[in-house]
Order: sequence, then C-alpha cells, then structure tokens
Amino acid sequence: MNYALVTPCYIAVAALLSIGLYGVVSKRNLMKIFISLSIMETGVNLLLITIGYVPEGTAPIENANFTKYVDPLPQALVLTAIVIGLSVTALAIAMLISYYEKKGSLEYKGGMKW
Amino acid sequence: MVVHPVLLIAIPLIAAFIIPLAKKYGFAIAAGAMAFNMGYAIGMFSYIYSHGKIYEMIAGFKPPVGIFLAVDALSAMLALLINLFAFINFIAIGKEWNYKFSMLYLLAIAGSTGIVLTGDIFNMFIFFEITAVASYALIAGKKDEKAIEGAIKYMVLGSIASIFILMGIALIYSQLKTLNIYDIAARISSMDEKIKWASFALLLTGIGVEAEIFPLNGWVPAAYQGASSGVASLLSFGPSKAAIYAIARIMMVIFPFHATYEIALYVGVVTLVIGELAAFMQEDVKRMLAYSSIGQMGLILIAFSLASQNIQNALIAAFFLIISHASAKSSLFLLSRSPSMGGAACKYTGIVGVLSIIGMPPLAGFWGKWYLMLAAINEKLWLVIMLVFFAGIVEAGYFARYLHKSMGNESKLNLRYKVAMVVMVSFTILLGLLPIAYKMASLPLWGW
Repeated sequence: MNYALVTPCYIAVAALLSIGLYGVVSKRNLMKIFISLSIMETGVNLLLITIGYVPEGTAPIENANFTKYVDPLPQALVLTAIVIGLSVTALAIAMLISYYEKKGSLEYKGGMKW
Repeated sequence: MVVHPVLLIAIPLIAAFIIPLAKKYGFAIAAGAMAFNMGYAIGMFSYIYSHGKIYEMIAGFKPPVGIFLAVDALSAMLALLINLFAFINFIAIGKEWNYKFSMLYLLAIAGSTGIVLTGDIFNMFIFFEITAVASYALIAGKKDEKAIEGAIKYMVLGSIASIFILMGIALIYSQLKTLNIYDIAARISSMDEKIKWASFALLLTGIGVEAEIFPLNGWVPAAYQGASSGVASLLSFGPSKAAIYAIARIMMVIFPFHATYEIALYVGVVTLVIGELAAFMQEDVKRMLAYSSIGQMGLILIAFSLASQNIQNALIAAFFLIISHASAKSSLFLLSRSPSMGGAACKYTGIVGVLSIIGMPPLAGFWGKWYLMLAAINEKLWLVIMLVFFAGIVEAGYFARYLHKSMGNESKLNLRYKVAMVVMVSFTILLGLLPIAYKMASLPLWGW
C-alpha cells in the first residue's frame, strides 16, 4: 500500500486535534475556545476522510473508465458532521453575544465550581 | 398490526419544522405531536411485550447498510418513559413560553427517543447532537446570566464530547467498515486490540459527558441551576436517561468484555459517592438536586455494570432506578420552582419523591436498590454494597434537611405544575406495587 499520501494526513489530524485541545484547555476567552473546538472538529473530519481513502482511487461516481474509487460513506458522514458543527458554532456565537451583553467581556471568570 | 418505531422520531421532527410556519398554534401542535408519541410508545411497548424485538429498516435497505432501528423491551420502555413524561411536563410548562420553546422541546424529545431506538452508532451520534443542541438552547432560554453561563459550560463540554464520540466511531469504522451495532458486535474480535480499547474509551468519555458521569459532569450543576425548573425537569428524565442507556447498549452489545463491565462499575461507584457527597454540601436547592442526579446516574451505571453475571437482576434494578429517578427527580425539579412547599400536593410530591430516591419500600426506588443488592451479593461485591448503603444514608441526610427547610409557607405554584408533578411522582408508587403483584424475574427486559 502506498502510504505517501496517507501519513501526512494522519500527522495533520494529530496536529489539528492537539492544537484544538491546547486552545480549549489554555484559553480563557470564550470565542477562542469555540474557535479551538472548530479546529478539533476539522481534525476529526480529516481523520474520517483519510480512513475512507483508497490509494489511486477516484471520486465515488459511477463511471465505466474507473473501477477503483474511495469509500463514499466517510464522505457522507463528514458532510453530516460539518453541518452539525456549523449549527453548534452558530448557536455558540449567538450565545456569546448575549454573554457579552450581560458581562461586558468574553473572558470566562468562574472555574468549575463544585 | 405492524409497528413502525421510526414514527416516534419522525412525528416530533416534522412537528418541530411545522411550528415556525404556524407560530400561533405552536403549543397545540407540539402537544398534539407529543400526545401522539405517548400513545404510540404505549402501543409499541405492549406490542414488544407480547411479540418480541422489532427491527426496522428504513427505505428497505437490508442491514448492515441503511439506517436501522433496533427496539427491545428496555428501549421500548425508555421511549415510553421519555415520551410520557415529556407530554406531562410540556402540558405544565409549555404555555409559559413562545413557539420557539415548543420547537426546541420537540427536538430534544425526538433526539432522546432516537438515541434509545437506534441500532446504528453514527445515527446515535446525530441524535446526541440534536438533543444536545436543543438542550443548550433550552437551558439558555431563561436569558439571565446564570442560564447563559450554564448553557455555555454545557456547550463547551458537549462539543468536546461530540468530537470524542465521532472519533470513536471513526476508529471502529476504520477497522470494520460498518456502523451497525450488531454487525460490529459480531466482528469485534477481529479488531486490532489497541484500536478496540481506544474506541471504547472515546465512546465512553464522549457519552459519559451527556450521561453525567464523574469526572465529566462539570456542566451539570451550572446547567441545572441556570435552567428554568421545567427544563431541568426535562433534562433529568430525557437526555440523561437516553445517554445512560446508550452507554449500557454500547457496553452490553458491542463490548461485552469483563474489563468494560469492571471499568463501568468503578466509574459508577466513584460517580455515586462523589455526587452524593457534593450534594450534601450544597445550599441551593437546584444545585443539590443536580448533584443528587449525578449520584443516581452512578447508581444506574452500577446496575448496568453488574449485568455481565446476573443479567436479570441487574436489568430489573436499572429499570426501577431509571423509573424512580426520572419520576421523582423531574417532579422535585418542578417543585423547586417555588422555595416553599406548603399545601397537600406539594408536600405529597416532596415526600414521595424523596422517599423513592432514598429507597423506601414499596416505592420504585426501593426495588431498584433491592435488585441491585441481589445482583451485587451474587458477585460478592461487599465494598460496592457498603458504598451504596453509605450513599443512601448521605441522601437521607440532605433530603431530610431539604424537607425540613422548605415545609411551611404556602407554595405559589399554579395548578398545572401541581397536577403534573403529582401525576409524575405517582408513577413511583404505581410501579413500586408492580413487583408485589407480578413475579419480576419473568419480565423479559433484554434480548430474547
């Protein structure tokens, strides 16, 4: 199997996930936290796409000239995941607007109080 | 008669999409859809009770391809519970809000019902997201500072959870090229050992956030405290119960190994003890009820984790604990809207709910703990038994303080609230009488 294309993709997945996770745990600004979450989501989507990749495969469209194509199911899953991510981000930003109106700042002050 | 479980998901979704077009009739449409769902869930439960499991293939695609619903007795029971309580709760609180609330409420119910009915892990993920997004908005609906803070906390943790669930699904798919849980279960042994455990860990962590499992439940107190009491009530019988059932299903169908049950047992015990101790220290009523919910979720997880050896007792225990917690806690949350609980209806609700959660006979909570003890004694888990008793004593302590503090002044709840909470809490009495009338060991909860 030809790993030349797949390995960099997995490295990118790991990089995106760790950048996102770092942002979520280290930043106090809520907007930055939600940006980091979007980065993590991109990482997972890339992971799904990479899993479905078949070396030298073409787009999964039925065509007599090509017999080898990539797995179409992860692409469908990623489409769904992107839509879900979009809706969560939209709701998050709407909520951040009202948080800002109430508090006058996007910094999160309180901790995880027990 | 042929039953189509998919209607339980489709009808509330369609109704939710119609509501913005007919804003004036939002409450009526939502109540109608939920009344239909409640009736249909009752019909489905009785059908399954007499005929056995239902598998439904959407659009005629045979598994393992295609969208697929698998309904057994336990999931039919949970679907019934969620839809029944949703209807009662909605009738009580729906009129206070505008059409957007009705829409979000329907989405949360459709999502929770979907989680318990689906037989496909990716669909489970989607239903989790539908439920979670609707709950974020419902919690924030009160629009004060605490509500928005609670919703944002839940949102951050919920988004991380959804990423973990999706990653777990991706790992399983990378090895087995399938998403159907029975297909995965049949071929789980051919998976790479490390990837198998990584995917289990990711799924447990992700779903654990929704199921309020320690240490993933940092959002719970803030969200329950911020939400209006009706929404807190919804959260305690809907999404959390669906999520704990999803953990049970993943554990028992996909990963039925000794180690997974053991992990679940430890997590459950830690959740129980920490939740109850934290509840004991709270001043605010809603926060106390939220931590008590965490403890109860731990108890339910312990019940499911004992299912490896004596499945019948463990599942009966889980069944009763879920019923007891759902009915008692959602009525106590409705009750917590007013700080005092004078008046017969409020006193009745408070006392019956508290007694059921502590586990007094003959209420449903007692039978839950009783069968849990039977299962634990069979496995000789003396430490677990001790800790469950200890948690019960702590529960009795803070609930006694709660009752003592809030009895007295006349409560200001309106009639709808009173009726709803009395009806909800009566289910623990009704179901508590069931084991006396029937031989519970013959109840087919799982499989056959």
